[in-house]
Amino acid sequence: MAINRLVQQGKVKVYADTMFNAANDAGGADEVVAVRNQMAELRHLIYSDMDLSLALKDASYTPEQRYGLAKAVFADCEMALAETLAVMAEQGDTDLLGQVFHGYEDAMMAALKLVVVDVTTVVPLDDGLRELINKKAEAELGCKAVLNESIDPSILGGIIMSVNGMRIDASVLSQLNRARYVLKGTDGGDSQ
Amino acid sequence: MKPRARKTAMLAGACASALALCPTLAFASEGEETGGISAILPDMLEFVPMLVAFIILWIILAKFGWPMFAGMLEKRENTIREALKQSEDAKIESERVLAEYKKQLADAKAEAAKVVADARETGEAVRQSIQEKAQADAADMIEKARTTIAAEKKAAMAELQASIADTSVDVAAKLIGNDLTEGEHRAIIERYVKEAGSFNGD
Repeated sequence: MAINRLVQQGKVKVYADTMFNAANDAGGADEVVAVRNQMAELRHLIYSDMDLSLALKDASYTPEQRYGLAKAVFADCEMALAETLAVMAEQGDTDLLGQVFHGYEDAMMAALKLVVVDVTTVVPLDDGLRELINKKAEAELGCKAVLNESIDPSILGGIIMSVNGMRIDASVLSQLNRARYVLKGTDGGDSQ
Repeated sequence: MKPRARKTAMLAGACASALALCPTLAFASEGEETGGISAILPDMLEFVPMLVAFIILWIILAKFGWPMFAGMLEKRENTIREALKQSEDAKIESERVLAEYKKQLADAKAEAAKVVADARETGEAVRQSIQEKAQADAADMIEKARTTIAAEKKAAMAELQASIADTSVDVAAKLIGNDLTEGEHRAIIERYVKEAGSFNGD
């Protein structure tokens, strides 16, 4: 079991480093960030689409068929990402994508001193807010921060920031949910 | 011979003498017709055989009749004495049995009185026990009812509170979603970023 885990960790590192090096060679930091952001979206896509997830690791397909399927599905992605995903599908390792993502971020951090902060808000950020968030992230993480912005009206307001698996949820939705929880949790002063 | 038998024999002898004199009187009445002393004297020719016959009869009776008669009397006497003794024993036994019955009756009466008293006492205890149990059951039911009412009241309050909380939060969410401008949203974001905790969890 320990050997399998070590083998798996080795695979993850090979995939992450290969993808990072390919992206870095192709376009530098901007390409690295673009690959990272696409990989984040694909990760959610694969996890949410059961048919795609099963097809990419279906043992009834030959490795070549899985490779071809991945190449076709991810044809519009960055080349480094598409190639790596195709090889992972060929080897039946698409379940490792989450670990590869974190390995890729570690490689970014180690090689470029760069982190990507995923920021979710209701309205687009202006330059002042970007600078404020960048400063906060760089001060706390000690490296250069790049924002990956997304708009989600369902959070009602505020901001959600996440980086390297760490998350700050300062959205209005979470505030209201906390208020809802507190209101439901109190007994109106009836208990002794 | 026993005194009683002897007495009986003497009585029999006296009777025989009286019988022996009777023919003499008959002869005397016949002799009066001839007159003189001879009228009262028995005729020896008749008197002697009769005397001999009498003596023989007396001997036979004394030898055979009186003992049999005395035996019968004695047997009868013994029978009567035995009967009397048995009667006395029966009387004593009956008195003893009567006393025993009286004692048993008294004991039975006492026992019956005790049973009645015990029954009354047991009945009173049972009545008191039933009454206490009924009171305890009633108290328990009241307590359970109170607990149930309190729980239902609490559940209703919690449900109402949750409903109010949901409604309040939903209203707040709609107000925030509809009424805030982009500038206000950005102001909130700025404030939250400044107030938010650290990525390192500090």
